Amino acid sequence: HCPGLHPVDEPHSLACDPAEAWRESHSFSARLRVFSALEALWLWRESRAPLCTPGAFGEKVPESWAYAKFSGAPLKVNVIDNTWRGSRGDVPILTTKDNIVSQPAKILNFLRKQKYNADYELSARQGADTLAYIALLEEKLLPAVLHTFWVENDNYFTVTKPWFASRIPFPLSLILPGRMSKGALNRILLTRGEPPLYHLREVEAQIYRDAKECLNLLSHRLGTSQFFFGDMPSTLDAYVFGFLAPLYKVRFPKVQLQEHLKQLSNLCRFCDDILNSYFRHSLGGISPAGQETVDANLQKLTQLVNKESNLIEKMDDNLRQSPQLPPRKLPTLKLTPAEEESNSLQRLSP
Amino acid sequence: MSLVAEAFVSQIAAAEPWPENATLYQQLKGEQILLSDNAASLAVQAFLQMCNLPIKVVCRANAEYMSPSGKVPFIHVGNQVVSELGPIVQFVKAKGHSLSDGLDEVQKAEMKAYMELVNNMLLTAELYLQWCDEATVGEITHARYGSPYPWPLNHILAYQKQWEVRRKMKAIGWGKKTLDQVLEDVDQCCQALSQRLGTQPYFFNKQPTELDALVFGHLYTILTTQLTSDELSEKVKNYSNLLAFCRRIEQHYFEDRVLKKHSRWYFQEWLHRTET
Repeated sequence: HCPGLHPVDEPHSLACDPAEAWRESHSFSARLRVFSALEALWLWRESRAPLCTPGAFGEKVPESWAYAKFSGAPLKVNVIDNTWRGSRGDVPILTTKDNIVSQPAKILNFLRKQKYNADYELSARQGADTLAYIALLEEKLLPAVLHTFWVENDNYFTVTKPWFASRIPFPLSLILPGRMSKGALNRILLTRGEPPLYHLREVEAQIYRDAKECLNLLSHRLGTSQFFFGDMPSTLDAYVFGFLAPLYKVRFPKVQLQEHLKQLSNLCRFCDDILNSYFRHSLGGISPAGQETVDANLQKLTQLVNKESNLIEKMDDNLRQSPQLPPRKLPTLKLTPAEEESNSLQRLSP
Repeated sequence: MSLVAEAFVSQIAAAEPWPENATLYQQLKGEQILLSDNAASLAVQAFLQMCNLPIKVVCRANAEYMSPSGKVPFIHVGNQVVSELGPIVQFVKAKGHSLSDGLDEVQKAEMKAYMELVNNMLLTAELYLQWCDEATVGEITHARYGSPYPWPLNHILAYQKQWEVRRKMKAIGWGKKTLDQVLEDVDQCCQALSQRLGTQPYFFNKQPTELDALVFGHLYTILTTQLTSDELSEKVKNYSNLLAFCRRIEQHYFEDRVLKKHSRWYFQEWLHRTET
């Protein structure tokens, strides 16, 4: 029992209905300060939300969030504009009254110790499997995801960089994306670029092959069940979701890995299920109890964003000029008082 | 290698049977080889023993430079050279021997995941201990790594390698870890392996697979290598089924070979001491 937390009625060990758990434990005062990963998918509060994509410090954000949702830990998500501090890689950060926990693995451990445990029903062996699969994801899938977001020139310059740079304060917007891109390339080359692969192209070919194999393995493991260990989501589901969801949803010019993922229908179904049950639900179901009062400006901004996003979507479709791609429907913004959901192409300049 | 080149190599591999004079190259056992390289080499030896393929171990001071990928061990079979456990397993499979054929898709996925776990945690922890922990670096690693070379080459090579490893650690986020955190990771990894193994003789019940070879290589080396402190081996010793697993593989597959005479003695001595 952590002294910093208000006592909750009972350990929320299984998240049957996260929205309900959320409403019940309004006395919980933890906040998850986070760089929001994808505007199209996740909530954030303050309008000037800086964000990051899967990469140097972003890939663990959706996982922490998803895990918190699965386990029913009531969290308030705050997006901070502390890009200067955050650029050291200190997000996501979980703060309670007395504690500050950084780094995703520690955050998950912390939540687990507070009995917000999504793995309550897992056997010891399944816990071991979780660790093993997480290692597999980090070794095989992560290099290719980093490459897709940060190294592949088309993707980086048309999607990631403008998106990222639009959300962080001026001088850093020139430096930080470049730094993250170099960091990603560095990591890929240091861990995978050893002889006999001498050319970057060969390294790329190898990492994409590994990533596709990893996706196939995940698909085999998931099979037809809803989550990886039966009917309730667990840490592993959070991790896999954290990796797959950005890959699945963000629209890129070069879509090699995304195409492969889309062919694995059970993984796509897995992502969609989680999005629909845990993230959509939150949009409508957040109770005002314990939350900040609504800002009228937020509402106006939401409407403006809606209009802008529709306009940009049309322009973007025209630009791409690919008639075989069906016009994809981006998740629409819901005008709920407490949240806004913004569009991934919101700031993309034509 | 591109897909075409890989297919080509597999075809060549499949054409010839396993020769009698296949050799495995590693660094000098007594003076030069380090913990992580020894573990890798032992894993490959265990794997080949499990496949019943004869292999001769040859120690060379420049094994690292002879290897096509810069990593030891590597095997020289016919007129092909293959290094590291992953490619060696594929090469052996192309020749028609495989330990994991009996597994279904889900089990194969699990096996690959656990192999990545060992590589991700155990191997990285070994590298960290060897190259980033000041005490070990000063006392053991530098002396051993440069031992075959004259001054000043021994210092230069050792520092160069240390710089390389530290750069890699930083890139994957282990640069800021303390030794205690690394040992905790090792503990977590061993706990996962122990839970997965349970009471079975091997990880996939009756038959050993490459996962068993890899785990044996690492755990046996950790248990039998004397470092500046015993903390690393203590972490492994907490799990009795892992110890039994190592002993079982040693007895089945290495009985007739002089594995590493003094280390085997050390292992048995230790077991004897704990049993009484």
